[in-house]
Amino acid sequence: MKLAYYPGCVAQESGKELDLATRWVCRALDIELVDFPNFSCCGSGFIDEANEVLNVALNARNLAIAERAGLDVLTICSTCQGMLSLANLRLGDARVKARVDGALKPIGIEYRGTTKVKHLLQVLVQDVGLAAIRAKVRRPLRGLKIGAFYGCHLLRPADEMQFESGEEPRSFEDLLDALGATPVYYRGRVMCCGFPIQFVKPGTATGIAGRQIDDAKAHGAEAMATPCPLCHLSLDTYQNQAAKSVGHALDMPVFHLPQVVGLAFGATPEELGLPRHLVPTDAVVARIGPTTPA
Amino acid sequence: MAGTTVSATFEVYRFDPKKDASPRYQRHTLELAPHTTVLTALLRIRGEIDPSLALRYSCRSSICGSCAMQVNSKSRLACETQIGPELERHGRIVLEPMRNQAVLRDLVVDQAPFWHHYAKIEPHLILDPRRPMPAGKENPMSPEEVERFKETPRCIACAACFSACPAVEADPGFPGPMALAKLYRYVVDPRDAAHQDRLLAIQPGGLWTCLRCHLCTEACPKDIRPSERIRDLKEMAIRVQGATELGSRHAVGFKANLRDRGLLNEMKLVRQTSGLFGMLGQLGQGIRVARKKPEILSRPRRIEGLDEVERIYAALDTDGGDAK
Repeated sequence: MKLAYYPGCVAQESGKELDLATRWVCRALDIELVDFPNFSCCGSGFIDEANEVLNVALNARNLAIAERAGLDVLTICSTCQGMLSLANLRLGDARVKARVDGALKPIGIEYRGTTKVKHLLQVLVQDVGLAAIRAKVRRPLRGLKIGAFYGCHLLRPADEMQFESGEEPRSFEDLLDALGATPVYYRGRVMCCGFPIQFVKPGTATGIAGRQIDDAKAHGAEAMATPCPLCHLSLDTYQNQAAKSVGHALDMPVFHLPQVVGLAFGATPEELGLPRHLVPTDAVVARIGPTTPA
Repeated sequence: MAGTTVSATFEVYRFDPKKDASPRYQRHTLELAPHTTVLTALLRIRGEIDPSLALRYSCRSSICGSCAMQVNSKSRLACETQIGPELERHGRIVLEPMRNQAVLRDLVVDQAPFWHHYAKIEPHLILDPRRPMPAGKENPMSPEEVERFKETPRCIACAACFSACPAVEADPGFPGPMALAKLYRYVVDPRDAAHQDRLLAIQPGGLWTCLRCHLCTEACPKDIRPSERIRDLKEMAIRVQGATELGSRHAVGFKANLRDRGLLNEMKLVRQTSGLFGMLGQLGQGIRVARKKPEILSRPRRIEGLDEVERIYAALDTDGGDAK
């Protein structure tokens, strides 16, 4: 499998561990990632609020870059996935397409709409398949109770994202099960992490994050895992502030999606960038059993 | 399938705050056809087993919007939710009152906060004197003008979106999806004179608390898509008034930020939104994060083909919003 790799901004900057883990897992699964140094930021939902057509045009340019190479796009962020998919969808509207073409054609960019946008979770569950994932597991996450935290834009609006139920998804839990872990079902798993208003209403935002972590904990989760680096910022990087907002310690290790896969495949914490997390993951990782030789 | 029934287990939330110390769940198992609606099942439970069960309903046809409740944690109209798919997914049906509104009894909530926010947006036409009502006629609109309402006039005010909204849960001052979708309807109404005032009035504490999580759009039984209309309101507010709120400053700042290098400059964004003073307030957190993630202190690389990005901005960001 060969895909145009769209890491998004955070995985190239403060969330570098996500990029590291993605590359490790894709190597293990023989997924070839093609880098495009000309991809721009997806606008993260904010440019969409300020100027919808501009946002669509910027992402049409990103999609056209992959299109020229004849590749589908791999995202590793729920928000990137949402914004790129939404551009594909909105360009189905002839009026939007005309305005976007008017900006792209003079600079020699043609958007045709032939490229699919897939999040790593989709690729793992739908294209690689759970059986193939199971076959790669060398260090099952046996006994580890993990709460998946999806991130809104990977799922919703469900009729537009065309992935799975917007309120009752199960792909991540199925994946955790294939890795040997025990998935924890809790209401907060499909809720918002608060990140979109982190800079606007910090106290409200971190309160929302704290509520979801509390919910996961109340249902028995010892760790959480997310396919979105923005959720990871809310749940891990700002967890100290979330704890302040809910008024008690949270101490919840939070993994990026490819980190849980990598751990089960036998990668070391260093190879997955785990020491970069704000909330230490070592105690949870230490509880995973030994690696069986390949 | 006609004739076949399934054994359906319901766990119904029961609570009378005047008498009970805490809620309990009452379990009932009924033999029902899979296409039975939750409301039909509840009426059988009340009619045949326990007449003390309190619930709200009227039309039974998803028109009146009275019977919204949580069905297996999703905000739904009981009258249009069939039991079959719920049983397949969950093996049982847990029925609870809507969220974000206090329970009066069992499945009935106090909708005062929901109506309070609705009343505040002044949900009636404030006629534009420059477009007077023609004598003896309705005030006509062209089909193109009507199209701008999108799906919003279909709203039945069931409050399912209000129940599903995490921003309402975290901040009771946030008007919620329905009030904002209704507001949109008046803002784009060509007969209404107050759209600028309406946008101005809603912004402080209103618009920019929306998390764009789209849970309201999933919950809405009429496909009003409140989250998408709130997005429209945000863009209109920026175009009409410029970036006057922290929220709009963040959106406009993000737009300017990306233009520099093609990728987000995280540190600069904090400065753009919060200002230098706000940045100082986050100094401790910044140092803490930078110890593990030193990249936050450096600028991102400049993407290749940045000139293309620049030309897209030049073509499509002419009325910007940065200025008015």
